[in-house]
Amino acid sequence: MSTNNHDYVTHNCDHYEDHRYNHLKNRKYEDEADICVVGAGAAGGVLAYELSKAGFKVVVIEAGPFWNPQTDFASDELSMQSLAWNDTRLVAGNNPLAMGHNNSGRGVGGGTVHFTGVFYRFHESDFKVKTLDGVADDWPITYEDLAPYYEKIEKDIAVSGPKHFPWGPFQGPYPYPEREPISANAEIFRRGCEKLGIPSVVAPLAILSAPFDGRPPCINRGFCNQGCLPNAKFSTLIHHIPKAIGYGAEVLSDCMVTQVQVDKFGHVSGVTFVHDSKEHFQKAKIVILANYCIETPRLLLHSACPQFPDGLANSSGMVGKALMTHSGHDVYCRFRDEVRLYKGTPVLAATQEFYETDPSRDFVRGYTLNAHGSRPLGLSKNLVAKSGIWGKKLHDIMRDFNFFAQITLVGEVLPNNQNSVILSNEKDEYGMPRPIVTFSYNENDNKLIAHGVEKAQEILMAMGGEPAFVIPDTGHLMGSCRMGNDPATSVVDGYCRSHDISNLYICSASVFVTSGGCNPTETVMAIAARTADYIINEHTKRS
Amino acid sequence: MQEKRTRYPSYDVLREQEHWDEHTREIVLKRLGPFDQHKFLEDHEAALVFGIARHIVYDHRKEILDYVVHHLDQSLSSAAGEDQRKVDTPEQRSLVRDGLRAIDKLSQKQYGAPFLEIDEKEQYTLLQELDQGKALPMRTWQRIPQQELFKKLATEIISAYYSHPVVWSEIGYGGPAYPRGYVRIEQGLTDPWEAKRDVNK
Repeated sequence: MSTNNHDYVTHNCDHYEDHRYNHLKNRKYEDEADICVVGAGAAGGVLAYELSKAGFKVVVIEAGPFWNPQTDFASDELSMQSLAWNDTRLVAGNNPLAMGHNNSGRGVGGGTVHFTGVFYRFHESDFKVKTLDGVADDWPITYEDLAPYYEKIEKDIAVSGPKHFPWGPFQGPYPYPEREPISANAEIFRRGCEKLGIPSVVAPLAILSAPFDGRPPCINRGFCNQGCLPNAKFSTLIHHIPKAIGYGAEVLSDCMVTQVQVDKFGHVSGVTFVHDSKEHFQKAKIVILANYCIETPRLLLHSACPQFPDGLANSSGMVGKALMTHSGHDVYCRFRDEVRLYKGTPVLAATQEFYETDPSRDFVRGYTLNAHGSRPLGLSKNLVAKSGIWGKKLHDIMRDFNFFAQITLVGEVLPNNQNSVILSNEKDEYGMPRPIVTFSYNENDNKLIAHGVEKAQEILMAMGGEPAFVIPDTGHLMGSCRMGNDPATSVVDGYCRSHDISNLYICSASVFVTSGGCNPTETVMAIAARTADYIINEHTKRS
Repeated sequence: MQEKRTRYPSYDVLREQEHWDEHTREIVLKRLGPFDQHKFLEDHEAALVFGIARHIVYDHRKEILDYVVHHLDQSLSSAAGEDQRKVDTPEQRSLVRDGLRAIDKLSQKQYGAPFLEIDEKEQYTLLQELDQGKALPMRTWQRIPQQELFKKLATEIISAYYSHPVVWSEIGYGGPAYPRGYVRIEQGLTDPWEAKRDVNK
C-alpha cells in the first residue's frame, strides 16, 4: 500500500473488489495499539493521519460503516439520512434539539461526509470571551496557538476561498481560488449585501475549485449534505483516513465502543467494543475519544467504575455540561423570478460583518450569515417539524419552491451548565443507557437570533424579496467536555488531555469552551492537529 | 386543483433518469411501486394513515399516497433509531400504533364515527386540534402526547411525499444530477434539461 498511490479512496481503505475486508479476524494491533481513536470523523481522521504518519500504531474504532461513495451515496435526500447518527437520543429543555442529520454523522468520515464544507477560522475574540465581554469563559488556548494548524489544515485539503477575507486575523488568500460561478441564491445575497453596504465574500469551502490530489473540482450537483459522489468535497473518509491506512493505521468500522477500561493504577487500558453482537477488546497505551459532543460524555459517564464512580475524567463534574449548538435560523424570502435553491454548492457566499460584539446592540457576541441552498425534503420537513406548517399552506409554499431565496444564521450560543448530556434509564441495543440531551436558549441567544433574522431579511428585501417564513433551526454541536486550565472546572487541558487520567484524551468539538459564531469544522480539525503534535512531541521527549 | 398544482406542467423529472447514476435511479424508481406488503402497519392502520396523509400533503392521488404509507411502514419496521424523541414520549412504534387507535377513539367521541367515516372538514379540524394539542381530553393523552403524535406522522408523511418524483416534477425540482452536475447555476440561467416555467401565474 504505497502512499504515493493517488487513488487513495478505492485502494487505501477496506473495500476490496466490492467486498469488505473481514478485519476482525485479521486485526493488526490486537495485542496492543499505541493509540486508539474512538470515532472516525473530523477530529478522528486528522488524529489517525498525523499519528500514523509519525509512526504510531493507530487503531480507529468507528461505530458506523466504512462508506464507499460510489456505491453507498445517492443523489437523494431521504435515503441519505442514513449518513447521520440515527440512534435515538432523548431530548428535553425549552428548545429540544433536532439530532440525526441535523448535527451528527455516523460511519467513517463522520459529519464531514454530510457537512456543507463551509470552512472558517474562529476569530481572536472567540478565545477570550470572558475577558472581552464578561460572559462565558476564556479558552486555555489563543488564536495564535491554533493559527499554524489552521494554515496546515487549509493547505492539506486545498481549501478554496477569496483572495481577501475581510474579517478576523486571517485575511487570506486561501490555498485554492474561490469557487466560481456562484449560484443565483449566492448572487442575490451578495448584491443585497452590496446595496446595504455590508461586505460579503464567496464562502471559504473544503470543496475543490480545481483538481487536487487526484480529485476533481466540484460539479455543482448540490448534494453536499447527502455525501459527495464525485469526491470534490473533502471528508476524512476520502482524505485523512485512506492516507492513515496507507501509513499503517487500522480502521475497525461497524464497531461500537461501549466502555473505556481503566487499570488498577487509574490509567486507561483500552476500550471494549461490540461488532455483530460480539464483544471485543482493544488494548492501547493512549485512548483518544473523538466521538463528538453526545457520545463522548455518554461513554465517559457509562464507563464509571469503583475508582471513578461519577464517570471517567469527571472529577470536575463538567462531563456532559455546557453543551452548545448554533442558532441556525433559516430566513426565506419569496422572489418574482426563479432562484432554484437546489442548484450548486449549498453555501457559496457569506458575511461575518456581524461577528464581533457591538456595544450598540443589546447582546454580546455575534454571528455569520451564509447564503444557503435547500432541497425539497429538507425544506418541507423543517416547515412541518419546526414551523408547524402543513396542508394547503405547505403545499402552496412548496409549489413555489423555485422562487425562494434563503439565508441561514450561524449564531453564537453562550455556554450554560443547564444544557447538558446525562444518562437515562432507557437502554439501547448495546445495553448502554440512552442519553438525555437538554437544551434551552438564554436571553442573549434570543436577542442575537432576532438581530440576525432581521439582518437576513433586510439583505433579501434589498433585492426585492418578500419575507415569507423563518424556520427556527439549529446547527452543529459544541461543548460537553470543555477544556480549561483549572481541573476543578474543566475536563481536559489545552492539549485535550484529560486532567484526571493522563493517557486519556478527548478531541472533538466537545472540548469547545464557547461556540464561536461560525461553522466549527475547521477549528475541530486544527485542534486535532495540535493535539496530535503534542502527543508526538511528548513521546519524542520521553524517548 | 390540478392546474394550480404546478407551474411546470410539461416537466417530468423521470425523463432524465438515464442521466442518473444507477444507485440513485434504483432508489427513486422504487417509489413508483409496486410495494411489498406492510411489515408493521395493519390494514386498518394503513388505511387510517392514508386518510390522514391526504390532509397533511393536500393531495389525494393514490399512487403517491400509497408510497407515503409504504415509507411510514418501512420507517417503523426498520431497526434504525428515530434521531431524537422527547423524554416522556413513547418509542415510535407504540406512539404510532396507540396514537392511531386514539385518533379513531377521539373521532368516535367527538363526531360519533371513526376517523375515516367522518367528513373531510371534521377530519381536518380533528387533525388541527391534535397539532395544537387541543383535542378533546382523553386519558390516552397522558401517555401519548398529542403534538408529538401529530409531528411524528406529519414529518414521515411529508418526507415521503416530497421524495416522490412526480412531486419533484410539479415543483420544478431538477433533482439528481450525477454524474453530469449542474452547469448553469447563475441567476436566470437553467440547464437545457431543467424545468421551464410554461405557466406564468
